[in-house]
Amino acid sequence: MTELESVSRFEMTSEPDQLARMRSWLWTQLVGQALSLEACSAVLVAVGEICNNVIKHAYGSAAGQPIVIALRALPDRVIIDVEDEGVPYDPRAYAPPDLDAVPERGMGLFLVRQSVDDVAFDVARPRGTRWTLVKYRSPS
Amino acid sequence: MDIDAREIGGVTVVAPQGDIDMAVADDLRLRLANAIERGRVRVVLDLGGVMYIDSSGLGALVTAMKQARAAGGDVKVCALASDVRALFEMTRLDKVLSIHATRAEAIAACGSS
Repeated sequence: MTELESVSRFEMTSEPDQLARMRSWLWTQLVGQALSLEACSAVLVAVGEICNNVIKHAYGSAAGQPIVIALRALPDRVIIDVEDEGVPYDPRAYAPPDLDAVPERGMGLFLVRQSVDDVAFDVARPRGTRWTLVKYRSPS
Repeated sequence: MDIDAREIGGVTVVAPQGDIDMAVADDLRLRLANAIERGRVRVVLDLGGVMYIDSSGLGALVTAMKQARAAGGDVKVCALASDVRALFEMTRLDKVLSIHATRAEAIAACGSS
């Protein structure tokens, strides 16, 4: 962790109307990271979709449940962790959307994977899931 | 979210203002569905006031497009911010939705389709 520059944390609960507050915090953090505006927007999309997924699937749309976001700034990339304490993510539940069928739902994780350079998740923990998203400062 | 809706030349112009995320997507979906069910099947969605949209919002637009087309009309969109357009391209919605630079062009396209 010696190359670590800084860590910023944000806490929210699982009501959808908390998402705007999260985006406001995240945008403020990202624009100070020497990322392009396109990269900042892409990260905003990705983190928003992870939070959507947590609210809908980890917490089953129950209100008042914790979501913690941490942004780590490294020289070559930013890393965003999103942690919840709900039902752990099950990758078997994910199927890439058939875009030719013009789906009305199920595009969230697809947008995550398209928007950042790396996506990982950790369910080997007492509760919930920790998502880790990586965006490099220049195209990888 | 504020959603301005008005009739212009037989076209229903819907202009949401603000982010379209999970918190408001169902409201937009319902508003559009109600308009289409009342026979207002030629719809222009002016997204000039939208700087952020998520998959829930995109889904609401797709639902409305399918409902309008099933009723003999269509949903056309206009005035996309660059970040919003990028998501349309990522999901290939730019291939299935009629996208116009301005509201006037989108309304005109309703008359010619």
